[in-house]
Amino acid sequence: MADIRFVLNGKETEYHGSATERLLDVLRNQYRCTSIKCGCREGECGACAVLIDGILHNSCCVAAGAVDGSSVVTLEGYRETARFAALEKAFAAVSAVQCGFCTPGMILAAEALLSKNPHPSEDEIREGLSGNFCRCTGYNAIVNAVSGAAKEGNGLW
Amino acid sequence: MVNGYTASSLKEALTILAETNAVPYAGGTDLMLENRPGVKYLFLKKIPELRSITADERYIRIGAAVTFTEALASPLVPPLMKEAVSHIAAPAIRNAGTFGGNIGNGSDKADTVVVEFAADAKARIVSKEKERIADIDKVFLSRKHLGLSDGELIAEILLPRKGLERYAYTKVGGRQSQAVSFVSFAGVFGLENGRITNAAAAFGAAGDAVQRYRDIEKSLIGKTPDEAKKVKADYLRAYEERILVNQSRVGPEYQRIVCLNLLNDFLSRFGV
Repeated sequence: MADIRFVLNGKETEYHGSATERLLDVLRNQYRCTSIKCGCREGECGACAVLIDGILHNSCCVAAGAVDGSSVVTLEGYRETARFAALEKAFAAVSAVQCGFCTPGMILAAEALLSKNPHPSEDEIREGLSGNFCRCTGYNAIVNAVSGAAKEGNGLW
Repeated sequence: MVNGYTASSLKEALTILAETNAVPYAGGTDLMLENRPGVKYLFLKKIPELRSITADERYIRIGAAVTFTEALASPLVPPLMKEAVSHIAAPAIRNAGTFGGNIGNGSDKADTVVVEFAADAKARIVSKEKERIADIDKVFLSRKHLGLSDGELIAEILLPRKGLERYAYTKVGGRQSQAVSFVSFAGVFGLENGRITNAAAAFGAAGDAVQRYRDIEKSLIGKTPDEAKKVKADYLRAYEERILVNQSRVGPEYQRIVCLNLLNDFLSRFGV
């Protein structure tokens, strides 16, 4: 039986474990991608968000075998990009990080939104982030941060 | 692959399904919640035959592994279905969840299934030996009960191309996003030459099955909206007696009242 072959943060890799394992657990435990947080394991909180072939997914609701042949990006890979730098600056500028647990998922949800819609309205930002819960309830600051990144990072997305 | 199979064509997938006890895996959003011990998955997302949205003379054909996000972007998918899909969960789940999976999970709360009931949708079911077209209510029977035999796979959902222009859809949940329906309602209204030709009303999440009562609907067929108004009270009373509600966290009486209010709103929207 073939292994699960995928690209993780730009590097080809093979996973030899069970195809039925949660991608969340595989990425955290096997690949030490600890930016991914386990919040609910039900696809409700968005803390485990990753990009699979550029599309936002909750890794708790993805089986490892489903990424065979795909490219997976976590915050560990995304943080090397100019887009991340723009988002990081924008989040810092408006203090959009409190405990930080939701932040990696928020950043990747923002990337998914801005890559489809570089100049979103406030409503569109709220919709784009609607699957990501912030239990510190810092939503307004996060929305402002994404709006700021879209403006300051004009041309990146 | 340990505990998993991948298929690059429908034929290959059906052979695997016939020869193993693998569970079809499209989006995974429900399967991963169940996380069944000892399960083996058959991954379907890379099978082109299951990923397309096409149209023929009679139907819009939505591949079973088409995601909700893909449906929202398609000009072929009718507004009624798009309205339901746009209220499902949140972007990451809509990026993964599929039409086939929404049926296959066997939940009476499945947001696309209530639309399929109201729209008189069909499903194309395939197996290694044969294929068949089945009405949606013969495929989705009730909670966790599907009209599928071993080795059969949902390949496409067929929505009628015509007759879905006048509709109502409402999802009642506890919040705007990531909500599991307390009650969902889809209605399709038809009017030709001033007379009612269709008054399909489907209710989801209220009982263990998606509910539709064709015999009550018939009481409005052939009437003008004004004539239908005169029998509306009897019509609503009939539904009040028939609608099944469950012991959900919102309570059966709340569900019953919401169902009747949504039904009343649907008819009022079209002059009844």
